[in-house]
Amino acid sequence: MAASVDERLAQAFVELADTLVVGFDLMDFLHTLAERSVELLDVDAAGLLLADGRGALRLVAASTEQARVAELFQLQNDEGPCVDCFRSGQVVSISNIGDSDMAKRWPRFAPAAYEMGFAGVHAIPMRLRDQVIGTLNLFRIAPDGLDQAAARAARALVDVATIGILQERAIRQQELVAGQLQAALHSRVMIEQAKGILAERHRVSPDQAFLILRRYARNNNHALTTLASDVIDGTADIARSSSQARSSSSQARTRRPPQGQAGRPARPEPSSGPPS
Amino acid sequence: MSERAARVWAWIAAAHDDHTPVSVAALCHAAAQRLGVDGASVTATGGAALCEPVCASDDVSARLEELQFTMGEGPGADDFRAGSPMLIAELDSVAAQWPGFVSAAVAAGARAMFSFPLQAGAIQVGILTLYRSRPGPMAAEELADALVFTDIALRLLLDASYGVIGSPGYQPPDGKSESRPEVHQATGMISVQLGVSLEEAYARLRARAFASNAALDDVAAEVVDGRLRFGPGPQPDQEP
Repeated sequence: MAASVDERLAQAFVELADTLVVGFDLMDFLHTLAERSVELLDVDAAGLLLADGRGALRLVAASTEQARVAELFQLQNDEGPCVDCFRSGQVVSISNIGDSDMAKRWPRFAPAAYEMGFAGVHAIPMRLRDQVIGTLNLFRIAPDGLDQAAARAARALVDVATIGILQERAIRQQELVAGQLQAALHSRVMIEQAKGILAERHRVSPDQAFLILRRYARNNNHALTTLASDVIDGTADIARSSSQARSSSSQARTRRPPQGQAGRPARPEPSSGPPS
Repeated sequence: MSERAARVWAWIAAAHDDHTPVSVAALCHAAAQRLGVDGASVTATGGAALCEPVCASDDVSARLEELQFTMGEGPGADDFRAGSPMLIAELDSVAAQWPGFVSAAVAAGARAMFSFPLQAGAIQVGILTLYRSRPGPMAAEELADALVFTDIALRLLLDASYGVIGSPGYQPPDGKSESRPEVHQATGMISVQLGVSLEEAYARLRARAFASNAALDDVAAEVVDGRLRFGPGPQPDQEP
């Protein structure tokens, strides 16, 4: 099992490294990383949260756009493994968020995570030298911790994410770090705005709108952020592609996620439908 | 509301002099006093072009605004492309990039400049510019405070057009509701419902929250869920 995690990890790195050099788009890169984290680390949802410069954490990419799961990531701004991880700079790893002492430690977050069907919660810090710039937050339905191979892989993925965000070769100074973080947050807001526009235009949920956006970006070789900008200024015309977007909406409505489905990304696979 | 936001808001209120309590001018003066800089200015922009100076705390700041506008060079112009602040601890270091601007700015008395776009995604309403007569980066705390100043300045510029500033109960942004994804999604939806720009859609969303004394993110959630739609005409909002 360890060997196959390493092999798949190596493959994921090749994929991520490609996006780092060729036509790099940070939002696409971070979404890909969040999605690969789910597979590689055997978890059910992954979210990348960045420091917003004002003392809070903000979700910039996740393995799923389901609003309920996104809310769970974001809820941790006040309490939860993520904020503890962010402040301490240490991994926070919880095998079972349903344990009674969890609710004492995190009275709002623990019950909310449990209600959503999650047991394992892990937060891994994204570090640049002394500074923690964000966290990788993982949710798992099964109540076990990350095994050693997965924990190692998680740290490696977090480092890759940090490099992608900071483009470390170019970073010497504090100001550049701050600027890069703000730019990442800014890109995310544009994507949210584009989601709203597409959601209204095509009468779908914002979650589905994101899938439309991402699939169009991939099929037409556009950077996600640029496409969002084009949707906003009206220079991109994305026709709704009905079948794949609709089928994932029924999953988004379930309150208690069935085994293995919470947060699973509806990745556009060429084999599972007609090309749009 | 975070402690930091409350503190910055208090600074702005304290800086009002004979301005109305919450104004961009008061914000400029408070920023100049509290951020370890020598001056601050705010410019309103239309699209990506520097347009209209709104306020400046001192002559040097006013001069820097004027230079950027007339030369079309400088950190402000680059802000929007990057979507991020331009933090220049030493102006000489960017002389090759903006030769005309840097020499004029240094001659005017600036050695460091920090320029912050006032934006929410694709909505870009202005720039907050800080300068210092001695070079050096902003301290981390000052930078965090400056970002809160930008949140407030964005809000003030947007809300000014709806006449809600200075009304009783006008609150500083708490930094949480404004950054929630539903707010930005709702903005996108409203822009299509009304056939208007994102900026106007956002202003309409905010005005609606203010008028009904509701939290911004609650109103946004109603829009995203489809329980509240915005329609054209004299009664702008309809419940389905």
